[in-house]
Formats: sequence, C-alpha cells, structure tokens
Amino acid sequence: MSPPRALRIAGGEVYDPINGVDGETRDVCIEDGRIVADLPAAAPRLDARGMVVMPGGVDIHAHIAGATVNQARRLLPEQHAVDPAPRPELVEGGPARSGTGGTVPSTFTTGYRYAGLGYTTVMEAAVAPLAARQAHVELDDTPIVDAGFFVLMGNNEYLLQQLAARETEHAHDYAAWLLGAAGGYAIKIVNPGGVAAWKMGARNVAGIDQPIGSSAVTPRRILEALTDSAIRLRLPHPVHIHCNNLGQAGNAATTLDTMRALAGRRAHYTHLQFHSYGGERGKSWQSAARDVIEHVNAHPEVSVDVGQVMLGPATTLTADAPVEYLLHASTGRRWVNVDIELETGCGIVPYEYKEQAAVAALQWAVGLELFLLATDPWRVVLSTDHPNGGSFRSYPELIRLLMDRAYRDERLKRVNQKLLGGSALLDGLARQYSLSEIAIVTRAGPARLLGLQHKGHLGIGADADVTVYAREQDVAQMFATPRYVVKAGVLVVDEGQLRRAPAGRRLHVRPEYDDQVLDGVKRHFDRSISVAFENYPVGPLADPPVPAS
Amino acid sequence: MEHVTCLGCGCACDDIGVVLRDDRIAEARNACALGREWFGTGVVPTEVRSAGVSVTLEQAIADAAGLLSRARRPLVYLAPELSVAAQRAGVAIADGLGAIIDSPTSESVHATLAGQRRGRAAATLGEIRRADLLVCWGVDPAERYPRYFPRYGGAVDGRVIAVDVGERRGPGDALERVALDPATEVDALALMRATVLGHAPASPGLEAAAELARRMTRARYVALLHDGERVGPAVDPDWTEALIALGQALNGPTRCALSTLRAGGNRSGADSVLTWQTGFPLAVDFASGVPRYRPHERAATLLERGEVDGALIAGSPLALPVRVTRGLGSVRVAVIGPRASAAPFAPAVIVDTGVAGIHEAGMAFRMDDVPLPLAAVLPGPHAATSVLTALRARLARV
Repeated sequence: MSPPRALRIAGGEVYDPINGVDGETRDVCIEDGRIVADLPAAAPRLDARGMVVMPGGVDIHAHIAGATVNQARRLLPEQHAVDPAPRPELVEGGPARSGTGGTVPSTFTTGYRYAGLGYTTVMEAAVAPLAARQAHVELDDTPIVDAGFFVLMGNNEYLLQQLAARETEHAHDYAAWLLGAAGGYAIKIVNPGGVAAWKMGARNVAGIDQPIGSSAVTPRRILEALTDSAIRLRLPHPVHIHCNNLGQAGNAATTLDTMRALAGRRAHYTHLQFHSYGGERGKSWQSAARDVIEHVNAHPEVSVDVGQVMLGPATTLTADAPVEYLLHASTGRRWVNVDIELETGCGIVPYEYKEQAAVAALQWAVGLELFLLATDPWRVVLSTDHPNGGSFRSYPELIRLLMDRAYRDERLKRVNQKLLGGSALLDGLARQYSLSEIAIVTRAGPARLLGLQHKGHLGIGADADVTVYAREQDVAQMFATPRYVVKAGVLVVDEGQLRRAPAGRRLHVRPEYDDQVLDGVKRHFDRSISVAFENYPVGPLADPPVPAS
Repeated sequence: MEHVTCLGCGCACDDIGVVLRDDRIAEARNACALGREWFGTGVVPTEVRSAGVSVTLEQAIADAAGLLSRARRPLVYLAPELSVAAQRAGVAIADGLGAIIDSPTSESVHATLAGQRRGRAAATLGEIRRADLLVCWGVDPAERYPRYFPRYGGAVDGRVIAVDVGERRGPGDALERVALDPATEVDALALMRATVLGHAPASPGLEAAAELARRMTRARYVALLHDGERVGPAVDPDWTEALIALGQALNGPTRCALSTLRAGGNRSGADSVLTWQTGFPLAVDFASGVPRYRPHERAATLLERGEVDGALIAGSPLALPVRVTRGLGSVRVAVIGPRASAAPFAPAVIVDTGVAGIHEAGMAFRMDDVPLPLAAVLPGPHAATSVLTALRARLARV
C-alpha cells in the first residue's frame, strides 16, 4: 500500500508568493517528491476545490531538539501528564509512537504535531557543538519534518581568543570547521560575549562595546566577525543573531546599535519582540517596536523573525543563561542552568504569560506591532521562538490575530493596559494580513531567508511539501487543522488525520576551510576541552549538505 | 585504536588507547583500574538460549516476542551497557507493548523528583576545571570515579575541601576537611543555603557548615560534587534537593555548578532517551496507550507486588538493583544484552550481545549528559541494537 508516486492536487485556490500566484485556481502536480508541470489525466487526484493550497510551512526558529530542549522536557512532568499524545493510526510505515505534549513535546509528538499544522520544515535554533550528536539523534526521532540546526558560536572561547589575537581569518576557518563538525546549518550568536561573561562570574555584558572579561574583545567584534564569516562562507542562511540584553527594559537601544554596527551586511535578527523595549531597566517599560521596525523597514539587508509572545503557558529555554538567572531570581520559579564548557550556556525557566500581567501584555503588544508596522513581509517572518514565547501550536491563533482586526481589538481590550501607553496598537492599527501575506511570513519568506531554494514555493522542481486547508470562518481553526499535508510527495495528513510519518531529511552545510586551522584547534582541545578532538565531530550524515549560496 | 571511550564509570574518558593482540584486548592505555576491568580482554559469552537450550537467534527473538506479547503486565528494563540506539529500540518496544519501562535511575528517584521540582545549576565536566573551589560532599571521586580529578578537576590541592559526613568521606588527600554528623546533614545544607542567601540564622552545632557556606560564597566559581549513585533506604529523600537548592543559591553571590557523579554503562543515556521519547525520565507506564509517569510505581515496586508477568531486560543483567534482580526470580524474563547468560536469575530467553563501546559502536552519555561516540574495538556477538530492533519488528507482527 505504498502511496502513489504522482498526485494532482486539483482545483485549489493556490497561494505561492515566490511564483507570484495569489489565490488563483489551479492544479499542483507532484511526482517523485517534486513539483512537476503536469501529469497524465489518469494520475491520482486530490479534490481541493474550494480549499486553500500553500507550500508546506517553514519554521525559521524553534527549539525542538538537543540537550537544552531535553533538559526542559525533563523539567515538565506536570505538563506532559495533562497532554498525553496517543500514537496516530498510520496506514503504513510501521507502528507510530505515543508521546506527550505540553510546551516542550516529546520528539515523535513534535514531528507529528508540526506536520498536523501543515509545517514540513523546522530549524532548531540553538545547538552547542559539544552536544550536536544528541541533537542529531533527537531529530532522527522527530519524524516527517525536514530539520536542521543553528550552531552556537557567539560565546565560543576559542573564537574569542582568535578575535583577541586579531586572527580574523583563522576565526572564519574555525567557524567553517565548527559548522561542519557539528553538522549544523547556520551560525548562531546568542547574547554575544554575555554568556561567556556569565560563566566568568561577570554576570553579563550591558552593551555591544563593553569588553568581555579582561580581553579587548567586545560584542561588536564578535558580531562583525561572525557576520562576515557567514557572508564569506556563502552560507545559505546569514548569521542568526539573538542580541544582547534580551528581555530588558530599554534594550531597543542595544538592538539598534547592533543593527547599525552591521549596517550593509546581511544578517538575521531573531525573536525581535524580545529586543524591542523602551523605558529604563529597573524603572519603566514601554514599547519601542516602532523605532526598531522602522529601522528594519529601511534596511533591506536586515531580516527578522518576530518571536511573538502568546498569552498562556510557555517554557523559556535559551543559551542566554544570564537572562534565565534573572528570571529565576525575580520569579522564584524552577531553574536549570548548565554551563557548557568553552562554548555557551543553557538556562531554562518554565513560565506563563498572563493576560493580566503588565509586562506580558506589553510583550504581546510589541510583537503584534512589529508584525503590523512591517512593510516587507519577506523580511519580517513569523515565530514565537517556540516554546519561549509560546508553543508552535499557537501559530494558528497568531495568524488569526494578524488577519482579523476585530478579534485582535477584542483581545487587546482584555489585556493589562498599564504599560501599553506608547504602543501603536492602541492607536488602532487597522492592518489585516492577507492569505498571501500569511503564506509569505509562514513559508515563502522563511524558506527564502534560509536559502532553501526548493522550499517555500510550488514552482517546478520544488520539494513537494504542500498544505491544503479547508476554508473556515475562523482562520485559527482553518490553520490548525489542514485537510491534507503532503511532505516530499507523501500524503502525510489525509482528511485531517495523520496517516503517514516518513523520516524527514537533515538540512546541514559543510563549508570549505583552510585545514591549517586544525593545528590550533587541536592544541586548544588538548589544553582545554574534556572531549578528544577526534571524538568531537558528529561524522558523516546520511543526507547530502545544502550547497553554498 | 586511539581515543576510545570507556564506560567503566560515568566519567566516560575518551582518551583510551586500546591495544589488541590475538583478537583480545591486551591493554587499555590511560584507563584506570575500573576502566581496565570494564574493557577486560573483550571476551564475552556468546550464547543464545531459550528454555535452557541453545537456539537460533531467530528462535530466541520469536520466543522473547511470545513471552512479552502474552504478558498482561510486561516490563521493559533498560539495564546498563547499552548504546543510545539500543535504548531507543528498548523504549519503542515498551511503547508498542503497552509495557512499563524503567531503569536503574529509579533507584535515586528522589533526586530526579527534586530536579523536577527545582531544576538545578550544573555544568559540563570541562567547566569544573575553572572552579577555584571544589567541595566534595561526602564523596571521594577517587573511589568509584577515579579519573574525575585528573581529567576534569585538576590536582587535589588547596582548591579542594573534603566534607566528611560520618563514614562518607571526601578525598583523603584534601588539605582541608569539614566533618558533619549524618543526622544533621540536610539541616546543615539548609543552613548553608540560608547563609548564602544572607539570612544567616544562629546555628548551634552547625558553625562549621555556616563557615563553609561563607567560604563558598567568597569563591569565584564553586564546583559542588556529590554522589548520584547513593541509593537505598538510608538516603534522606530531601538530600539531593538540599544540595540542588544550595547550588542554585550560590549563583546569586557567585557562580556554582553541582556535579553529580554517576556510574558507567551509559546509565544517563536511559534517562535522556526516555525523556526525549516520552517526556519522562524514568518509570513510564504505557499500559493506557500513552506514556504515564509513575515515579512511585517503579519496576522494583511492581515486581515486589507481583504485578509483572513478563519482562525484557535490555542490557547487562549483572548490574541490576538488588530488588529488581530478586523480583525477576518469579517472572518469565528475556534478557538481551551483554553477559545475559550470566544473569543471577533464570531467564526463559537469553541472547548474549556485545558490549556497547567494546563490540558495538554508537553513542553514549557521560555523567554530565555530554554525548560521546562509542567505538567497536573488537568483533563480538550480536549487537544489542540489531537484536532489539528485530524483536520490535517481530512484536509488531504478532
């Protein structure tokens, strides 16, 4: 009972922004896992008349696998107890797996639920190379979705040493080697220098020009070097930056400093919502979304994902360990910290964004402002920084907030208004996203920003990742329950039920480097790291690397 | 072969040079005594038996599948000496069967529950060497984690304080010692936490503990070492929680990592794999078709109550908790793992497999949850992963 090699999705209303298709009625033809121009009339058909057809969703930034995510899973038995996930009844491919959900679901459930939302590609946003092997195995246990991960480098002590010694070329080669050794997809910077400072006992850095420890290296220098590394290595995705001072009042100044420091250089700024606050630390909070998004709008080299906060339960988990310490200290909540030798940190605090909490309401509003004031949806894409701002399962609700002004205004009335004074949301932002814009911020845009040329569109030769939604009055309901999902040509969701769960592919890069870099790296391992140099790389992966851009 | 990972204890030293002679391990260079014992000669039994007689592997798998699928309350137990791949296959079997699954980590369930209530402040072992103060809390790593100090902690010098809790003594060569009465140990930890937080109540009889807390507060980076394999009824259920709370509190005035010493054979891997596949680290019951967390209905408890009527021991049966071994005496058991034929009970089905890291390549976790590659240094009997995978496929057909 293998699925047909060919399939015609017939008569749907197609939203394929990369190819300029905006709601036209047409067929989408699939053969051997790819989109093709046409098929014989006798090919199997899916009747999509009256339904909305889009490329499969692409999540540019989520936390779904690896050591930190698994520490968070371990911390949340009460969430898992109330959200058991029975095994789906698959029609082929061996027995499915049960699991648990909550804000940090088990691996199989993560794959099933993403596919059940019509998402077919997910990027895990933060993996320490030391634990990359675990992330790969967890992704092996995360079915259906094609997945890769970003490699944490912004607090890597060897890299910092090279920058201190002005060995910038060496740093680029090291970054290339590290990406390949970890089997990662992109360079990730988290709170550049701040996590290293936390581990040294200096707690954090306050701005991009503050030297880290006794070295002359500053966050600015790290940002510049790694941004250049990604450009010179022609990586498919530019450097992926989580700025300094996440979650602090007044941090918009740091965010704008960072963007200005890298002006003219291609860079992606992640969960921008968490970095767009005005006011003053310890004194006042307000929205600075307008200042930040105006800069983004005016600078085509900048792309962002929003990192929307959704009201309800979340789990904050990040390499930005000093932030999690502050959250623990101020809330008294459970807290995990793991210092990861010479590379990064890990902090986890389970959390809830309460409608009646002033700061949570502000965060919610700031994210929506960013979305609604953005002029180019291709560069301002959707994320909740799952599970930090809320679960990926809240994307349909977020889509409704963007598409349905009346609903948004009604929600706005219910949240705590105390800190919303400067928010453009109160001025009555009338914008409503169109289906085409939703297709951009949830698939076409992220695919393009990730440099995944075969994803995010339905042109000939694209990966046959397709989602078909039955139209509903409530768009949240519509986006939560796709009628059909096709992944690599396989019908995984049929009549709203998960029926097949093939393995996804691993998305990774293997940039070239001058292997003279390895002499210094080996000496560094012998001196400092508790794992042998030879045992550090994850070794060959089954899927071929994504080529340079 | 160089850079081989040793699973003789949770240190998982990966600098071992294995020298082979005549298809045996002649030398495990750099290994400590525990490691040398773990590698041995690499010669392991290779029996495949069912009902006491030698059978083909296929027959043994069929019999194991029959035994498990007939059980009304099956148990899958992830014993030590399995690779992560074999542990993943073990959890898949339990999920398919609707079984209870557990591992030796259950023996220290209070530590796991404490971690779930509070979290923890920890570090990978490579961070330990940046510590300027190492406090060995009632444990001497030299005894059961011999290369912890040489590899991760550095010399036992002026940075090390031994805390002797009655008979549980810190390193004998530490330059400083603090003696505590076991009866007041948890009180001492609570007082130390309060001291760190600046509450500093009067502490008659516990002045030494309060002074130690002040000393820790003045350090730049504290490593607090304790024994994660301390189990049994004598262990105060609040013990680990008190250590976790102290370690976390120290991160206000300074930095601190709690280092939990764990034994070998990829024990930590069982919790990690169970957690990512089910959301829970131990004692998971699939009977209702979904994972249910039953930290107070663990394998040992259910075996003692006579609830289990069929069991799969995946891994070595030689290192099982006493209560589990005892309980298995009256149950039909299939053992698939290294030295299955040497089980100290009478399994119905026995498949001797190779040892993960000696005969089977793959991945294992160090005591600090850092994943490391395993090498196959010698050919051996059937690989546990492939036997368990075949059993899973067979069960899916039953």
